[in-house]
Amino acid sequence: MKERNQRKQNKIIELATFYIGDALCGIDILNIQEINRHLEVTWVPQAPEYVLGVLNLRGRIVTVVDLGKKLGLSPISPGKDNRNIIVDSRDEHIGFLVDRISDVMLAETDKIEPAPSNIGGVQGKYFKGVFKTENSLVGVLDINATLKDE
Amino acid sequence: MIFEDDETLRMYVEESKDHLVDIENDLLTIEEAGEDIDEDLVNNVFRAAHSIKGGAGFMGLSKIKELAHKIENVLGMVRSREIVPTPDIISTLLKAFDTLREMIFNVENSNDMDISEHVVELVGLTTASLPDDQKESITMIVDVALPSGRKVLQSSKFDIDHARKEGRFIYLVEYDLIHDIQRKRKTPLDVIAYLLNSGTILQSKIDIDAVGTLDADVPSGIPFYVLFASIIEPEIIPSLFDVDEKFVHQVTDDMCFPVAADQIEKPKQVARETASEKPAAKPSAEKAFPDELIREQKDAEPLDTDEKQDQIHQQASTAVDVQDSSADKPSIMKNSVSQASLRVSVGLLDLLMTLAGELVLSRNQLLQAVSTNNMRALETSGQRIDMVTSELQEAIMRTRMQSIANVFNKFPRVVRDLAKELGKEVDLIIEGKTVELDKTIIEAISDPLTHLVRNAVDHGIETPDIRNGHGKSAIGRVKLSAYHEAGQVNIEISDDGKGIDGEKLVASAIKRGLLSEQHAALMSEKEKIALIFLPGFSTAQKVTDVSGRGVGMDVVKTNLDKLGGIVDIESKVGEGTVIRIKLPLTLAIIPSQIIDVGHERYAIPQVNLNELLRIPAAQVKNRIEKVGDANVVRLRGNLLPLLNLAQVLQIKQTFHDPLDGRLQPERRDNIADRRSRKNPLFLSHEETDESGNPPNEAVDEDFIKPRSGQERRTSTKSAINIAVVSAGAFKYGLVVDQLRDSEEIVVKPLGRHLKGCCGYAGATIMGDGKVALILDVAGLAQMAQLTSLEGADRVSEAALDAARQKKAEKDKVSLLLFRNGEKEQCAVPLGIVERIERIKVMDIEVVGGKKVIQYRGGSLPLFSLDQVAKVKPLPDFDQLEVIVFRLAGREVGLMVTPPVDAIDVVVTIDAITLRQPGIMGSAIIGDYTTLIVDIYEIVRTINPEWFDETDISSSPQGGITILFAEDSAFFRNQVKGFLQEEGYNVLDAEDGMDAWEMLNQHSETIKLVLTDLEMPNMNGFELTAKIKADPRYAHLKVVALTSLAGDEDIEKGAKSGIDEYQIKLDRDKLLETVRGHLSNIKID
Repeated sequence: MKERNQRKQNKIIELATFYIGDALCGIDILNIQEINRHLEVTWVPQAPEYVLGVLNLRGRIVTVVDLGKKLGLSPISPGKDNRNIIVDSRDEHIGFLVDRISDVMLAETDKIEPAPSNIGGVQGKYFKGVFKTENSLVGVLDINATLKDE
Repeated sequence: MIFEDDETLRMYVEESKDHLVDIENDLLTIEEAGEDIDEDLVNNVFRAAHSIKGGAGFMGLSKIKELAHKIENVLGMVRSREIVPTPDIISTLLKAFDTLREMIFNVENSNDMDISEHVVELVGLTTASLPDDQKESITMIVDVALPSGRKVLQSSKFDIDHARKEGRFIYLVEYDLIHDIQRKRKTPLDVIAYLLNSGTILQSKIDIDAVGTLDADVPSGIPFYVLFASIIEPEIIPSLFDVDEKFVHQVTDDMCFPVAADQIEKPKQVARETASEKPAAKPSAEKAFPDELIREQKDAEPLDTDEKQDQIHQQASTAVDVQDSSADKPSIMKNSVSQASLRVSVGLLDLLMTLAGELVLSRNQLLQAVSTNNMRALETSGQRIDMVTSELQEAIMRTRMQSIANVFNKFPRVVRDLAKELGKEVDLIIEGKTVELDKTIIEAISDPLTHLVRNAVDHGIETPDIRNGHGKSAIGRVKLSAYHEAGQVNIEISDDGKGIDGEKLVASAIKRGLLSEQHAALMSEKEKIALIFLPGFSTAQKVTDVSGRGVGMDVVKTNLDKLGGIVDIESKVGEGTVIRIKLPLTLAIIPSQIIDVGHERYAIPQVNLNELLRIPAAQVKNRIEKVGDANVVRLRGNLLPLLNLAQVLQIKQTFHDPLDGRLQPERRDNIADRRSRKNPLFLSHEETDESGNPPNEAVDEDFIKPRSGQERRTSTKSAINIAVVSAGAFKYGLVVDQLRDSEEIVVKPLGRHLKGCCGYAGATIMGDGKVALILDVAGLAQMAQLTSLEGADRVSEAALDAARQKKAEKDKVSLLLFRNGEKEQCAVPLGIVERIERIKVMDIEVVGGKKVIQYRGGSLPLFSLDQVAKVKPLPDFDQLEVIVFRLAGREVGLMVTPPVDAIDVVVTIDAITLRQPGIMGSAIIGDYTTLIVDIYEIVRTINPEWFDETDISSSPQGGITILFAEDSAFFRNQVKGFLQEEGYNVLDAEDGMDAWEMLNQHSETIKLVLTDLEMPNMNGFELTAKIKADPRYAHLKVVALTSLAGDEDIEKGAKSGIDEYQIKLDRDKLLETVRGHLSNIKID
């Protein structure tokens, strides 16, 4: 039993990583539906500040969130590298707008350390932990915490 | 006793539901018929109960079986006319069926439900009608045994006796579930249904015990015993059962053995067994099943054939299946209550298939056309796809359509129960059951409709004695009808009850502080009745338990609003109420108006849209006005509150630049043109408003001033576009930048992060693939805090009038506007105008150098302005308007050009700039410089001799001095003018203070005081009070001149001592009054 538990902890997950400003973040790739560059977002007046607007993803209405604003970092600056990461959260597609996409990394779950309470101004509650590679630190996002209603 | 697999149970539930559907109405019809029983109908209900019972026995649903059985007993007696279906009996049956339905819908837990009450009642009914000696049989249970002596099942003796009495034969049939049923590819339900065609099942039981003990007699399989009553003769009965003759036994008395009370198989026992099915008791279920299965397997082993083994395994696996599925069953059951499945006619499905095929074909064509680059083919296939898609859409929509009967059918029962409870007699008439509506709408209107129907019975219909007292028939009538109209479904609920008393509603609303009295006074009868939709409102004097508790109507309205429906209520006290509901056919695809604001596109559902309004740039300042902070537009005499969508949503507005057609950011903050305030109407308003003005006014000013040369708004492109929308009965205008096409849009929900924005009803995808938001008209109004009362537009109209009146308290004057030349606007005080005539120019005669026209047997002298004043001559028209005045005892006509219009305005008259003979001054009215014509001067200049005569003839008053206080030069001149014509000396003062000084100076000569009320320094009331308080002047009469003589003013005036009121510029009356007062003085 204990052994199994440990094995579970040692599971290797794939992290899709991306940049918000200079911060490198990652999401478990299993949460991601697709990554695209549909950037024709319809603005929704009166929406919460972090919501950029809505998007037509093959007939589904997708809420697009400026991940920078949502995490309390600087807003995503428009550029040709901008991408929408579409995640599935509670039967609803939600798009995260990020500055640019980086690699997919393999991470052993036990190598993911608890996030320091304050990672570079980002609110710690949005992160599952921090994954250390040789030359970088990846903040692993907790999608459900990030998309929790406020 | 779990035998069924999931599928069987579900089929049973579905079938039972079908059986239950019409029962209510059938029972009600039976009740109506009373003794005169319609056997078909009773049979119908009987069969329903019977089928339910039959299946329940099979499924181990003992409580359902028991209840259905008891119901069946009662119905059997009704059928054989042993009891008469009185309302009480029907009530009991209805309630029992309710519980039965509840159990069917929640079949998993049905065995835990308490039905003892119903059983007691039902048994009571059966016993009551029986002769004493038979009573016993009801409760008596007998064992029914096989000829071999093995007791296989228990049944009520009453049932057996009853069946025999009806001349039926009783059979005990042994089925083998494996051989006779499963092998023959039948389901147990099939068998039951088949049997029910030719008789009744009194009792049925699956005998698991037999498997264990009687392997010798019953070599394989599970016996299923059915106690069956039928009129079919014993000789031919085996063929019916489709089993070997030796398994069919005719039950004789010697096969039945009375059972001691403690040996009766209690339903409870079964309940315990089946209770293990519940997910909560899953561990025990796990335990129970293996036991049974192991036993089965063990028993089967001696048979030692692989085939048998397989079967048992199969059996086992079914049982296990049941167990597995039981875990997630509660959720299935919950869904089934709100109808997770839908019946669609096969014809429709076929149509869908055909269309889908068509679509595939068209796609192939399209692909081919694209690959060969054939434009023509591309076009054709495009058209084809267009057609097929629309048809497909329509067909799919139709699968969602359900008849409104689904909702309507429950009302006879609702009305009956309620009427009975309240001691009323009500007839319910239902029309238009076949009207179809989208499934979601059907589900959503059920509650609001129930509420309205209950209201009609509870609050609408009076008790029979009251009805008789009012000369109505004792039986009230509630009518429910549905019909199609203009792509919408209309539902009408009408009653002939006491109606809704608007006054009572108003009184109640005022009492609750929901409405001000002032507001109430302005409301129409319909608006008063619509008050019932205000939140927190109850009309019933006595709050009854049955309907509403008074919190209903607003909920009804909100619910219907959500569906895009409209409620309209009409009522006459004593005659009844009609409530009309308009509903869209579907909610999924809706026609909408697309509009633009800023760079954004939005859709307004067509149901909310009343009309589109485009106010040309030139009319903006005339038609859009400001009341307080709100913009309003004049629309056919009503004021419509305006909502600037851009402001509500905080979007930067745009407009098309008239010069280069480019989209430019809008810089106006206010739609109502502030420049129009040079219109004197708004002058005072602006003055009084200055302190409350927002700081951006100054900025606004900067924009306006330098651009006074080129008026942007004169371009048609900067016209204002308004979508007039209604949220329920409440209308307002939504100001948008651009109006686009009307399109059919598909409604898609917005994500949860946007739920907080109440201005949107959803989103849709436009032709170009972009998303457009659908506006929620009611939500927007809420955001902008527009009130949702129907009377809102009228109220704001009243507010506007009041605001004007406030301004007018100073100097409001009624003027008659007319033109001299085409561009010259002139005005005369309306008070001195006798009438207006239209004449033909060719009818004018020139006699003795003067123009006259024959009129009513005399000659009417005619003048024109250019005879005296330096104005343009009259244009050369065929027809002219003649304003007729009465001067010095004669009538004279002033020829003018149309249009002639009467207005009430506040004017500041400039008595200097444009002063000339015949013109007393000028004012700006409606943006035109208007000459105020002095008709006396004109006539006097032309015919001085008339006035000499009058002076001589009517100058007994010569030398009498009148003090006249008035702050407006215009009025001062006017009134002074005609007083002097009468031969009075007039001392005029500019305000009360001035007047007081004059009075002191000329205290000897002044015989009468005329005063305006609103004046600077000292107003009319103060002046009067001062005069009356001074012993030297107390005898002087004071006549107040006013434009408004409200009750309040009169009271106030009376306090300060004003003797009389006169309306300004009502020349004749004023002179008469003056004469009257002065003659009194002379007598003194």
